[in-house]
Amino acid sequence: MTAVPALICRNVSRRYGGRQAVDDASFVMPPGRVTCLLGPSGSGKSTLLRLIAGLEPVDGGDIAIAGRVMSAPRQTIAPDQRGVGLVFQDHALFPHLSVRANIGFGLTGLARAARAARVDTLMTRFHIAHLGAAWPHMLSGGEQQRVAIARALAREPALLLLDEPFSGLDGRLRADVRAALLADLAALGASVLIVTHDPEEAMAIADHIVLMADGRILQAGTAEHCFRSPASVAAARLLGAVSVLPCTVRGGVAQTPLGPLDAAALPDGPADLVLRDHMLVTASDGVAAQVEHVQFCGQGHVVAARIAGERVTVQCDTAPPTPGDTIMVALHRPVTGIFPRGA
Amino acid sequence: MALTASIIARPPRASPLAGLALLAGLVVALPLAGVVLAALGDASADIAQRDLLRYAATSGLVALLVGVLTALVGTAAAWLVVMHRFPGRDAFAWLLALPLAAPAFALAYAYADLLDVGGGLRTALRAATGHDLPFEMRSIGGAVFVLTAAFYPYVFLAMRAAFINQSVAALEAATMLGCPRRQLLWRVALPMARPALAAGVALAVMETLADYGAVHFLSVQTLTTGVVRAWSVFGSTASAARFALPLLAAAALLLWLERMSRRGRTHDNGKGRWRAIAPSELGPVRRWLAFAACAMLLVLALGLPLGWLAWQLPLAVPDWARLTLALRNSAGMGLAGAMVTVALAMMLALGTRQWPLAGRLASLGYATPGAVMAIGLLAPAGLIWSLVPGAGAGIALLLLVLAYAARLMAAALEPIDAGLARVTPSMRHAARTLGRGELGAAMAVDLPVARGAMLTATLILFVDILKELPATMILRPFNFDTLAVLASNYALDERLNQAGLPALLIVAMAMPAVIWLTRRIDGARPGALNAAA
Repeated sequence: MTAVPALICRNVSRRYGGRQAVDDASFVMPPGRVTCLLGPSGSGKSTLLRLIAGLEPVDGGDIAIAGRVMSAPRQTIAPDQRGVGLVFQDHALFPHLSVRANIGFGLTGLARAARAARVDTLMTRFHIAHLGAAWPHMLSGGEQQRVAIARALAREPALLLLDEPFSGLDGRLRADVRAALLADLAALGASVLIVTHDPEEAMAIADHIVLMADGRILQAGTAEHCFRSPASVAAARLLGAVSVLPCTVRGGVAQTPLGPLDAAALPDGPADLVLRDHMLVTASDGVAAQVEHVQFCGQGHVVAARIAGERVTVQCDTAPPTPGDTIMVALHRPVTGIFPRGA
Repeated sequence: MALTASIIARPPRASPLAGLALLAGLVVALPLAGVVLAALGDASADIAQRDLLRYAATSGLVALLVGVLTALVGTAAAWLVVMHRFPGRDAFAWLLALPLAAPAFALAYAYADLLDVGGGLRTALRAATGHDLPFEMRSIGGAVFVLTAAFYPYVFLAMRAAFINQSVAALEAATMLGCPRRQLLWRVALPMARPALAAGVALAVMETLADYGAVHFLSVQTLTTGVVRAWSVFGSTASAARFALPLLAAAALLLWLERMSRRGRTHDNGKGRWRAIAPSELGPVRRWLAFAACAMLLVLALGLPLGWLAWQLPLAVPDWARLTLALRNSAGMGLAGAMVTVALAMMLALGTRQWPLAGRLASLGYATPGAVMAIGLLAPAGLIWSLVPGAGAGIALLLLVLAYAARLMAAALEPIDAGLARVTPSMRHAARTLGRGELGAAMAVDLPVARGAMLTATLILFVDILKELPATMILRPFNFDTLAVLASNYALDERLNQAGLPALLIVAMAMPAVIWLTRRIDGARPGALNAAA
């Protein structure tokens, strides 16, 4: 018997005025894991999060949390009845309550002692036990976030939603906070959905990634699967910089500027060859490319060049060329994918 | 699918907060609608069109002059106090707002008595110099002087807050670009503070149009005195309502003008880079001139008139029984009116997210004179009395509280809205996802966060209700005197010595609240300009 999914979105739609903010979105979130909803700003991911939290009604489709339908057109179970915890980007701590009172805010049904014990447990788990009497404005960004997460988990929600949780932190701190927080969440075995616009972050933290753009779900799967086998050019772009070379498919073979490549599953016609950066390297023989720009990047040099007029990025581990040179480049890994034009 | 059946059907727009806001909005809308309906009725008293025009012209002239003078006096005082260092500057910063504690009619009584043609001062002057002073208090000029003295603090407070909150960077940039310091006011500070000036002057003009006690005592016939006269002398609600209609129109116009001047001018002063303005040192002569100017303003608006009233006190034997009763009534109505209004304003503020029109309506109520509100409530009152003949003083007092609420809702809304601005939408949503319903979230988050703002609003309203005269006169039950009504009755009986004590008692009750309010706006943003209104 398989476990009940933490979340099922089925053909979910939400329209603002004439704009389709969420368009026919479907995905399933496995329980007890961390899932990332990744998309550029304006892609509708925050709207989808609000739909899941029940803060807004759906116009079409339905949303089931832990096996129970919570949203359907004209039928929305109120946010307070859904068993969903939501951590806001700005943390939304109540300024008039201490850290303890903030965390205990949702524990209305419990006796005083049980409530205090639960708050203590959470504060210890999230390493904020020393801050119980502090006020929200006295806390650092990272501490505020821990309080917000402890507060959201106090009611033992079936699903925890985090909206851009690390956007307020920067650099080294961000990676540290992320790692520590994920360890704590993993220890709890909670089902967590994290919204982010940062592909590196998504791949670093998530077991499962849902890619979203223009209100639509482009692809869902493990981080590695999404990265190695994107469903489309747009999906490939979401997980990192790519070079796109136009090509033509004829009889199961793609004629590309890099030579013929296998494209057995594709129909005849124009197509796009998608390459992740660093897949092309300088070589002694291969395809000619015109160097436009060279930049040192630590391990070697990154060369911006053109093959048959199309821009590509080439990794160079030997002596760097100078702009204007013609160099030979070759593929050193399998291509990311070939997609029919317009798909 | 079976799961779907377990969904609780919930109509999307049934929101308890919107319902409460609607209720609060009705309180404001009722008297406004009442006036318009009453004006459509049959006017039994023949008030000539000519009279209406004459009253309207007088109202317009007084409002215009008071508007210009309060703008000049208030702005000059604020600029002096914020931008310059001179003896007493820190004290003047809040002292100059204190005239808000004195009702305009108290100033009118004092000045009319002090400068009476047959009074001691002028008789002595005539004897000594052989010349009389070239003016008469009971005139349009006299009324403009009194009302300017009473209402300039609205502009002063608004402009002071605006100047304090202006980014010093803009002023420094102007200086670096070659603007001499003495031109900063005209070229930079004043244009940046224009929304505050408009708001302050609009308040002063609204209060001027609404004033009854001062202009009536000074024998200046304005639309507001016309409203009260049509009702009290001719007993005609319909005629009173006809005088009220132009006042309503003027209120709407003022509101619109104020809104227009604010459009697109939310001046963000960039929190992080905000620095206090360093006031400039004045020369040895100029610093004492600045001191003298501020001191004279304070003496003219507060010290002289109140001092004269106090000086006259020993000449009268107070009727302590009536005074105590009136004191109790004033305090009771002030507290009850303030608390009911704050509660309604809170409901409106929480619900206006669903129903933004209510906020506009409340502003219109604030711009509407109290006399007009009272006339608007007379028709519903008549209905209640005809339905429940035994309904006595209780209903009348309830209607009076409603009139206060309708009139002053916007004054309470401003600080409450500012307080509620600290509650972000995500905080409300957080409370929802943490198990609170819409109403529960409001009670657990919005209400406690806005507690301080509600106290501020209560004090503002308390002071305003203490000073309120015309609505109380029209709607009060028989023989129910407040201090303001008592003072007015004594004054109209030419017993000015007797009128002094109730007037001074109003000031004494209002002063602590006004001091507390003016002292705490130091850290306030420009939007809090009504904070001491």
